[in-house]
Amino acid sequence: MLSEILLNLSRVSKTFGDVEALSGVDLQVNRGQVLGLVGGNGAGKTTLLRLMSGVYAPTSGEVNFSDGKQVMLERGRLGVVPESTGLYHRLTAWENIRYHTRLHGIKDENAWARVIGFAKALDIVDDLNRHTKGFSRGMRQKTALLRALAHGPEVLLLDEPTAGLDVTSARTVRALVEKLRQEGGTIIYSTHQLAEASQVCDRIVVIHNGTIRADGSPEELMDVTDTESLEEAYVTLTSEKSRTRSEDDLKEGKMASWWRRLLTPKQGGLEDE
Amino acid sequence: MSDSIKRINAIARKELVEFVRDWRTILAIILIPLLLFPALFIVMPVILESEAAELREMSVDVLVQGDLPSDLSENLSAEGVVISYGSLPDDIANLSDAGGDSQLLRDGEYDSILRLSDSDSGWMFSIIYMSTSEASRESRARVLQVMNAWESNVVNATLVDAGLDPESTLNPVRWDGDVQFSDAATKGEQAGLTLSLFIPLVLAMWTATSAIQPSIDMTAGERERGTLEALLTLPASRMEILMGKWLAVATITGVGVALQIAGLLFAITYLASANVIGVPEMSLIAFLLLAACVLLFAIMVVAFELALAMRSHSVKEAGSILGPSILLILFPALFTQIINLDGVESFWFAIPVVNMLLAMRELMLDRVVVEHVLIWIVSSLLYAILAARYAAKQFSREDLVASIS
Repeated sequence: MLSEILLNLSRVSKTFGDVEALSGVDLQVNRGQVLGLVGGNGAGKTTLLRLMSGVYAPTSGEVNFSDGKQVMLERGRLGVVPESTGLYHRLTAWENIRYHTRLHGIKDENAWARVIGFAKALDIVDDLNRHTKGFSRGMRQKTALLRALAHGPEVLLLDEPTAGLDVTSARTVRALVEKLRQEGGTIIYSTHQLAEASQVCDRIVVIHNGTIRADGSPEELMDVTDTESLEEAYVTLTSEKSRTRSEDDLKEGKMASWWRRLLTPKQGGLEDE
Repeated sequence: MSDSIKRINAIARKELVEFVRDWRTILAIILIPLLLFPALFIVMPVILESEAAELREMSVDVLVQGDLPSDLSENLSAEGVVISYGSLPDDIANLSDAGGDSQLLRDGEYDSILRLSDSDSGWMFSIIYMSTSEASRESRARVLQVMNAWESNVVNATLVDAGLDPESTLNPVRWDGDVQFSDAATKGEQAGLTLSLFIPLVLAMWTATSAIQPSIDMTAGERERGTLEALLTLPASRMEILMGKWLAVATITGVGVALQIAGLLFAITYLASANVIGVPEMSLIAFLLLAACVLLFAIMVVAFELALAMRSHSVKEAGSILGPSILLILFPALFTQIINLDGVESFWFAIPVVNMLLAMRELMLDRVVVEHVLIWIVSSLLYAILAARYAAKQFSREDLVASIS
């Protein structure tokens, strides 16, 4: 039986100035599936996640739910954990969560009832009333996960959810993802770690230089590339030299960029005598 | 309450909660504005008066060179002057030439030197002092005062000896009555004029400066800390986010301005009770227009500062842009102080910043000129809308997130 498509990306491209971050991406995300996005730095994973989370509008193509509604206009159906976690350190963990649920239009008591269940699974019930300023990376990640789940999203988007976590915290996060999968949740999981992707995800999408290079289960990726391991498959799929420019090149204004170049020695700091 | 208003409200509340949890901001938005005017108008004069009293109590050492008439000596002693005697130096060109005696003052042996010389044409004198020493200046002031009184006595005695009446001879044209009662303006109107010269300036500057820090914190700060991306994934539109943040910054600025006005009113009440200044007389309509004027100004300034901060890629960049941008308020504000309100041309009321400051000055004088009011309301609304549109444009930029990483 074919799985129900929940999210549909059709011929999606995204450019920033003259940088093409993503090009002609076609992707369907099935309901109840954990989809892994794997790629190197600057491959386009974060751009793709931001398109799917409605932060960016595609330059061309469409990012829609299966009912035809644009993701950008239906952000309430998403739960997002950005790489930076995005917690306010002068608020408590619960206040951080409540801020988001209020913006989702969820009543505080309903949000609390839902949060407390996940908080037990993540073992942070006692920390909900603590300010997040002193939180470890693991605690911040768990809080951000709780916040993303608190309004009951249809799709959960996780950007490097275990990056920088200790082994125990990373296991806890992966265990929660597994629990959500068993409950039929749909998760898009961006990671650098191939081993983690093969452990957590049903399906892996390899992105390189702004295009999808492969899409399938770990076994399918190895079959396609005729390799013995996922790592070899990944190396084969991404053998093309990585591009050097990315959207971050645009973070500086023209004037600032010109001024910085003017005052930068041309030969790696070796100035003429 | 619509969903949109609920979201704007939630954003504003969160921003305010986060802002007030930093004790330094409480200091900045409550204590400083509240205490600024009382400190300026009450504490400062008290300190100055106590310093002046201390000086008056102090005795000063004066070296008298030359012949000192006995009555002059008595008058000097009555003013707390301790006299030492010496002779006039030989190597000076005239009495004002300090010569080698300046060392006596520099070493602190004397506070000043009074030089006197009697000649056929009358008395010649000079007071050698050091302008950089408080005691020396005080010493000079006392000696000069005694010398002036003594001179008057000498003149009067000479006139009497010549058979003339000193009063009619020296003051043939005199003011009749008390000069301070000849001003038709009431004390309240006079107070309005005095206060209109600096209250608009302070209000404008405080509005602009107090909005800087929260504007940066809620935009570039949020961007730098990586919290903006999570916010942008929520169902709130960019316009709602802007409105929520604007509301929070405007509230913080409004509280600061209100506290500053409260401090000012307290200081004025105190000064009025001491008969130093009157209470400005303003009609209700002038007061309401003044409040509207401050509100429109705040809408414009806060939106403009939020937009500039949102354009910036970091807190540092935002600070280096918004700091100097205060000059855009300061220069027009200072310029407005010299514009004569009597017969002022109407076009001034259409120039940004200048219009608000002139309007505040006029209203504080209780002058409600319909033509001026219409011009500044329409032009200010226009500028506020333009600033809000500019801010909305900045909040819609896609690279708000592109530059986070």
